[in-house]
Amino acid sequence: MAFAVTEACIRCKYTDCVEVCPVDCFYEGENMLVIHPDECIDCGVCEPECPAEAIIADTAPDAARWLELNAKYALLWPNIADKKDPPADADAFSGQPNKFEQHFSPEPAKESV
Amino acid sequence: MTTIMMTKAAHKTDVIIIGAGPCGLFAVFELGLLGLSTHLIDILDKPGGQCAELYPEKPIYDIPAWPVISGQDLTDRLMEQIAPFSPVFHFGELAESLIKTPDNLWRITTDAGTTIEAPAIVIAAGGGSFMPKKPPLDGIEAYENESVFYAVRKIESFRGKRVVIAGGGDSALDWTLNLQAVAERVSLVHHRDGFRAAPHSVARMKQMAADGLIDFVIGKLDNLVGEAPALSGVAVTGADGQKVLPADRFLCFFGLTMKLGPIAEFGLNFSENLIPVDTEKFETSVPGIFAIGDINRYPGKLKLILSGFHEAALMSQAAFQICRPGERLRFQYTTSSTQLQQRLKVA
Repeated sequence: MAFAVTEACIRCKYTDCVEVCPVDCFYEGENMLVIHPDECIDCGVCEPECPAEAIIADTAPDAARWLELNAKYALLWPNIADKKDPPADADAFSGQPNKFEQHFSPEPAKESV
Repeated sequence: MTTIMMTKAAHKTDVIIIGAGPCGLFAVFELGLLGLSTHLIDILDKPGGQCAELYPEKPIYDIPAWPVISGQDLTDRLMEQIAPFSPVFHFGELAESLIKTPDNLWRITTDAGTTIEAPAIVIAAGGGSFMPKKPPLDGIEAYENESVFYAVRKIESFRGKRVVIAGGGDSALDWTLNLQAVAERVSLVHHRDGFRAAPHSVARMKQMAADGLIDFVIGKLDNLVGEAPALSGVAVTGADGQKVLPADRFLCFFGLTMKLGPIAEFGLNFSENLIPVDTEKFETSVPGIFAIGDINRYPGKLKLILSGFHEAALMSQAAFQICRPGERLRFQYTTSSTQLQQRLKVA
């Protein structure tokens, strides 16, 4: 029982979700966030917050792929508990298709500047 | 000169329950059927825990005999079900310390100074205490409880003040609307022109801003201005650069986060922020202290409300032995036992 972040987050990273999560279960990669499925309490507060509509319930069609990705990278990437500014070109990438194939990075977030 | 120690007399009860979520509430029922009285402590100002605070309107489908029920309805039904047992609630309080008294009772003291004594304790604290999320502003702690607040306790304390409110949810919107009438000036700051709040509240706020009754600023919080703990303004960067909003009070509504809090210091064993228990009594490493619901851990644990209900029933059998040593506990059904029906106030 959990929510998951999809490729719609890639290169957008608005982090509105982080601000509302009561259990701080988001983890930050170089260009997307993921949810730790064991820490998520399924409260659903983050889902409507995402301007990129990147957060889905595990019951959604096609959820399995993203749950797997979230579970994997939540263990590798650092926790993010505070909202931060999105990349300057975030809006340009919002809503673009096939972002995973073109832009996914397995790297963790860089140290905040 | 004589020093008078002001100590409030301790409440006495059979069982103190920390957490008034669904499991804590149902524990009142199971303990009540056995004739045990209860006091509950919860940091929230209402019962229901996560169900009421995080998803009051979200449908739950796996409560036995309720094909679908919302978090708030479940809470309301539980409150109705436990009403015959007259539990005493201590809302808006945090269980801060736990000690053993010389007469072998547990004594819990809350952050409000309430003390309660009982032979048994039930920790039904779910994911921990709800605490306000704080904005990442340097030195904000020095202003807290003097000029910076995360909740409104008394509206009157904002009368005639210049108030800056930050946040984009219902709390921020509601307090902007409600304090406008008493405050000298209210300014609402949010990082974008989008809200997760009742559309009606957003519309009213925008109308007030258009009418010049409040200020609505889209921008990012930079820092607090003024010599702590006194506040003189809040610096905000918006589209037109940085400005300082004059303020005597800063109210921040960035949502809630759940933290284990002081129960981590109660001397219990913890494993990954969960409390290991046995599956016969749901007792912790300390005799007389039980843990039920999401906060406990045992082989095969499922974090489901229905599991917590089962845990409450078994815990109650063991708590009875502690509260009524030497008395025999007879297993009875509510369908046929006059004694249980009397306790339920139906016979």
